[in-house]
Amino acid sequence: MNILFHIGRYYALLARAFKKPEKGRIYFSLILREIDSLGINSLGIIFIISVFMGAVITLQTAYNVESPFVPRYLIGLTARDSMILEFSSTVVGLILAGKVGSNIASEIGTMRVTEQIDALEIMGINSAGYLIFPKIIAAVIINPFLNILSIFIGITGGYLAALLTNAVSPEIYIQGLYYAFVPFYIAYSMMKTLVFAFIITSVSAYHGYYVSGGALEIGKASTRAVVYSSILILLTDVIFTQMMLA
Amino acid sequence: MIEVTNVCKSFAGREVLKNISHVFEQGKTNLIIGQSGSGKTVLLKSVIGLHAIDSGSISYDGRAFSHMNSTEKKQIRQEIGMVFQGGALFDSSTILENVMFPLQMFSTMTKAEMLKRAHFCLDRVNLVGADSLYPAEASGGMQKRTAIARAIALNPKYLFCDEPNSGLDPITAIVIDKLIREITIDYNITTVVNTHDMNSVMEIGDTVAFIYKGEKWWNGNRHEIINSDNKELNEFVFAGELMKKVKANQE
Repeated sequence: MNILFHIGRYYALLARAFKKPEKGRIYFSLILREIDSLGINSLGIIFIISVFMGAVITLQTAYNVESPFVPRYLIGLTARDSMILEFSSTVVGLILAGKVGSNIASEIGTMRVTEQIDALEIMGINSAGYLIFPKIIAAVIINPFLNILSIFIGITGGYLAALLTNAVSPEIYIQGLYYAFVPFYIAYSMMKTLVFAFIITSVSAYHGYYVSGGALEIGKASTRAVVYSSILILLTDVIFTQMMLA
Repeated sequence: MIEVTNVCKSFAGREVLKNISHVFEQGKTNLIIGQSGSGKTVLLKSVIGLHAIDSGSISYDGRAFSHMNSTEKKQIRQEIGMVFQGGALFDSSTILENVMFPLQMFSTMTKAEMLKRAHFCLDRVNLVGADSLYPAEASGGMQKRTAIARAIALNPKYLFCDEPNSGLDPITAIVIDKLIREITIDYNITTVVNTHDMNSVMEIGDTVAFIYKGEKWWNGNRHEIINSDNKELNEFVFAGELMKKVKANQE
């Protein structure tokens, strides 16, 4: 019953968040601000994790696939497809669930306990729309770009690892990058990213919006936001993979 | 004028408001007083629609607020200014941005007109030169003034203040009380103030409703409150030494 209550309340909140905005111009500027806050401010962490993920995939594949029957260019192919299919969408999604999700839950939670959300409601503003809608739209717009960037940086990280360690020759690595490329994988990765962006922002906003209490409860809500977003991302990942790649 | 008729409200089976009826008059500062936990904040939040009432009705100048849908309620809410106990200022916006916020959301003013109006409101609450401060950088009194300036930015017909001088020193508290009274008279609005501060009652209480254990126990004005023979009211009013001395002097 408790789960059904939360699911129902979550959808009711989303219905309120997607109601017609009071003033489109204000919402547009809020979306731009959220793109900066949720997306541009995440570039640093995405750069760092992507470059290392690409490098590690390359090195691990190189050191574990020593068979003469397996061509070395598969190292590049593995790095490319791993980044496209899983790492740049799902792993980056999980990292963003931690960074952005906790940020959203604590921001909205603080507004709840300090009566700022009540103040919005009293002014006749749809607080769910004002606070949540711009975050969801901003994440859905910016996260696909972050995904593409992560893929590019990860593959570059793999190339740097090849160049610096001689685990595989850079030319063979690049040959692998061009080998058997499936464009649909990019579409698959982008679709996952869009859904993950929606999950991270909406689930975290839900947990922040319904906080009651004080600082301790805001902390707990942030943790719940990250945990539930992460679980939902992984669950959705399995469903997507089965539906689209099987 | 705001009319509250037979309002009941319960939380998890516990009755917090019991059949309350009261009229908040236009052009007057209408005070709701009572001990902590008596139900006065629930009453205030029910009147402004933050809590849905279980039964009864609330009307704003004859408009049945409690029976309206959310779109209709929005219209009324744009006529309401609210000063929250903690200020409820948007902490990532400056004082000027806080006051401009309702204007940006609901007015058709140009940016220059909005700035002019926001500065007028800040001047009205005697808050000059603090435009660029963030709420966390402002004193408690400045935060309350900002909250009042934001509340009056859209020329409200109804002003609600939830314990507007809690946490303030006595001098600043009196300044805030006087400001609320001046604004009420100047703009001829219906002001409802929730307080348990007897200084406020004696300073600005044009009408006073005493809430006791979720019921409206007494109502009158600041002059009548001193001479009331209501036992529970007297226990509340004369709990402090100062009021006891006022009573003794009067006798």
